[in-house]
Amino acid sequence: MSAWRVVCAKELRETLRDRRTLLMMIVVPVLLYPALLIVAEQLFLFGARRLEAEEAAVALLGDPPPDLVARVEADSALRVVPIDGDAEGAIRADSARAIAVLGAPAGDDGTRAVTLLYDATSDRSSRAHAELRAVLGEWRDALLEERLGSRGLPGSFAVPVAVADSSIARPDEVGGYALGRILPLLLVVVTLLGSFYPAIDLAAGEKERGTLETLLTAPVPARDIVVGKFVTVAVIGVVAAALNLGSMILTFQTGALQLTAVIGLEVSLSLPAVLAIFATLVPLAVFFGAIFLGIAVGASSFKEAQNALTPVYMAVLVPAMLPVFPGIDAGPLLSLLPVAGVAFFFRDVMTGQAGVELGLLVLGSTLAYAAAALVFASRAFGSERILFGGGEKAEVEPGGWIERWRVGRQVRARDGVVPSRGTALLFVALLAVFFFMGGIQLQLRLGEAGLLAAEWLLLFLPALAFVTAGGFDPVHTLSLRRPRATGLAGALVLIVGAMPLVWVLGWLQTFVLPVPWEMLEGLEELVTADSAGRLAWLLLLLAVTPAVCEEIVFRGVLLGGTRELPPWRMLLLNGVVFGAFHLSFETAIRFLPTAVLGTVIAWAVWRTGSLLVGVAMHLVNNGTIVVLASTPGVRELFSDPEAPPPLWLVPIAVVLFAAGVRILLRPAVRADDPHPRTPEP
Amino acid sequence: MIRFRALTKQYGPLEAVRDLTLGVAPGEVYALLGPNGAGKTSALRCLATLLTPTSGTAFVNGIDVREDPLDARRRLAFLAASMGLYERLSARELVAYFGRLHGLRGAPLDARVSELVELFGIAPFADRLCGRLSTGQRQRVSLARALVHDPPALVLDEPTLGLDVVSGQAIYDFIARERTRGKAILFSTHRMTEVELLADRVGVLRLGELVAEGTPGELVSSTGQENLARAFLHLVGGAEGR
Ligand SMILES: Nc1ncnc2c1ncn2[C@@H]1O[C@H](COP(=O)(O)OP(=O)(O)OP(=O)(O)O)[C@@H](O)[C@H]1O
Ligand SMILES: [Mg+2]
Repeated sequence: MSAWRVVCAKELRETLRDRRTLLMMIVVPVLLYPALLIVAEQLFLFGARRLEAEEAAVALLGDPPPDLVARVEADSALRVVPIDGDAEGAIRADSARAIAVLGAPAGDDGTRAVTLLYDATSDRSSRAHAELRAVLGEWRDALLEERLGSRGLPGSFAVPVAVADSSIARPDEVGGYALGRILPLLLVVVTLLGSFYPAIDLAAGEKERGTLETLLTAPVPARDIVVGKFVTVAVIGVVAAALNLGSMILTFQTGALQLTAVIGLEVSLSLPAVLAIFATLVPLAVFFGAIFLGIAVGASSFKEAQNALTPVYMAVLVPAMLPVFPGIDAGPLLSLLPVAGVAFFFRDVMTGQAGVELGLLVLGSTLAYAAAALVFASRAFGSERILFGGGEKAEVEPGGWIERWRVGRQVRARDGVVPSRGTALLFVALLAVFFFMGGIQLQLRLGEAGLLAAEWLLLFLPALAFVTAGGFDPVHTLSLRRPRATGLAGALVLIVGAMPLVWVLGWLQTFVLPVPWEMLEGLEELVTADSAGRLAWLLLLLAVTPAVCEEIVFRGVLLGGTRELPPWRMLLLNGVVFGAFHLSFETAIRFLPTAVLGTVIAWAVWRTGSLLVGVAMHLVNNGTIVVLASTPGVRELFSDPEAPPPLWLVPIAVVLFAAGVRILLRPAVRADDPHPRTPEP
Repeated sequence: MIRFRALTKQYGPLEAVRDLTLGVAPGEVYALLGPNGAGKTSALRCLATLLTPTSGTAFVNGIDVREDPLDARRRLAFLAASMGLYERLSARELVAYFGRLHGLRGAPLDARVSELVELFGIAPFADRLCGRLSTGQRQRVSLARALVHDPPALVLDEPTLGLDVVSGQAIYDFIARERTRGKAILFSTHRMTEVELLADRVGVLRLGELVAEGTPGELVSSTGQENLARAFLHLVGGAEGR
């Protein structure tokens, strides 16, 4: 057994005893697809149920014949309601979504006029209109056939040409196409995650713990050590990728979940296709392993390595994401690009279009990149400067969550210790996923109370647990300081000024972005209170709860963990993440306003050093919306995003906003720490 | 035997070790003294081939560390001050790993590991992961690890760092035993008592330079001080805080 194999055997054994790596290597890859499918299924059912539940009220005026009434009644999406009085008023009041006004009966060969009344700005009304129009069309066709029959003519007499649509894509192609765009990315990401932590652990971790010094006293050439470590990392990457591929195939191909069939998400991969994918994953894992190892070895601590590798990780994700965008095809140039080529190849294999040339090209280029990365890694290991540069004084810093986890000891919260940027972002990302998945479930079961529960259980409690269990300093991480009066006042002036401006921004957006009318109507129903009790509940649900639960996550953990960034980047990041958190399929329109609000609140919290300021601002913003939406008169104006905001508000808002900014720029707004700490040297 | 010949080590502009020449004979224990930052670790690392000397060289059993570092490592046991152990390997696995790296396999490896486990009293925690060991236990495992190939020269960087009196005594016993087995032993330390107890000869480093050398008695008398600690302070006076 040569030395590199001794090293590799030992590294594998040690790695397999590491819970974190096991999680990344086995649990995540295996559970990813079933979890994804469950989420997709829930979303699908959620959507379907909503549509089914919806029966649009329509009315028929002008003495409708019984057979027409019967036809409309028979349509499961429509329900006939009687209306009295003004038809237009009935639609405005939402007592009917669409109304057919029939003219006088026209005898045997005349034309009977029918006018369809509806509101083109309402999605529901438009839908009822389309449905009703279809039923009227059927009725017309039936009458026509009757007339033709009475003259002894066949039905085809009136249809000299029949046009029908037929898409040439088979259902599995459609599914393969949709999945083929997203699955390559997932495969690449899992391979990458599989080798990320082992690389850090095997390189920087060894230095941090001082074991490198003893390892290098063994009579083994540095080359064997690099090769041994590198093979370990690559093996783990390949295993993670293989498990991922296996789980993917099992999930999508065995029909383990009924949904795949229902929504046509079938990917059938032939054995050669699977083998081709696997054959490409191996050099990809080698490539990642070598790059990560080569970079991580230059860092003197786990944390430093994580910081050094995160940009690389991001840089690798960008080419992997290319196939997700429709319209980008793998030309020979793109397939030679590292990672991108692999992702395109996977996509083409999954959609059944891959050619042998492309496969060989990708395999060849990936092997070449892997070899180059390997040379780079072994040079890094051979360099004394990299191996001992600053490494000698490295000690285990109690700063990071992962270090603590690894060390596995109870660490007391230390003064001033805040989560690292990566940890904070990862936490928020996970939280968003769980909030999204769990929130849907809770809302389905509990309705509005589910929303309340989701905010407290899935945002507030995890954030608290994260800070306590991670041993972070709550005051510094969450900015738990009592605000100064000037700071709080400035922040409130600022938010009152910001709200109309954000409103204007939302209005301007409607010129470029589509407005999700249906969604907004639902929202409007949710926020509109008709009694004092309901208003109180809505304020609790939509103002107090998000103000507390969302602030502790975004202006607490996220802001606390990103403070090492330059201020403007920290604030923008906060706004963007906050906006993205509120983003779902239909509400792209909410992103920008929310992101702006998030940035403004983050700035105020940062200036004043107090999370309470953020809570107050959030409360004022959301509370105002609830109150305005429940005030008749204002409500109309407010609930239509395409209606311009009152323009006289703008100058007032600008003045208030500027005043708020000026107040918060004063140094005296900064809150004191609750316990005076010894000044840092 | 161990020999430094005009060895200099620079980190950029900083001269950590300057023109160091000294020798340790078989069966001799040599203590390297010096305030923090004097260059002890740098010198020992050059000897252990972890660092490349800027000029000059060192020999282990006649082998030039610059010319054949791997062969030099085979003849040298190096105990680093950091006591780095693989936290997810058990003590026994760790010693066996280094045995394999030194080329031992099969039955001889097993025999050697059991022997060391016995010798250093590791048996009670031999199958516990190193991450869960106390400082004293870690030090014993480190020693067993360093000696797995039973080399003729021993280099120990602050071997008693962080140890209690009992564990410290175990190290002294170990050094004394290895001396009688004819090993050349070079160690660095900040404790004067162990120098007086163990060292046949002492070298004092100050700002990378060897400023005095001799038996403990010689150092005391040549400086005209009443004990070794005072002699040391006298020799390195004002050298702190580089
Ligand atoms: N990798 C390195 N890069 C740059 N400078 C270094 C490096 N290692 C040590 N030094 C510097 O070289 C000088 C000698 O350090 P060395 O560790 O050899 O001292 P020491 O005598 O072992 O000190 P101590 O008693 O504190 O262990 C110090 O000034 C130190 O800062
Ligand atoms: Mg030292």
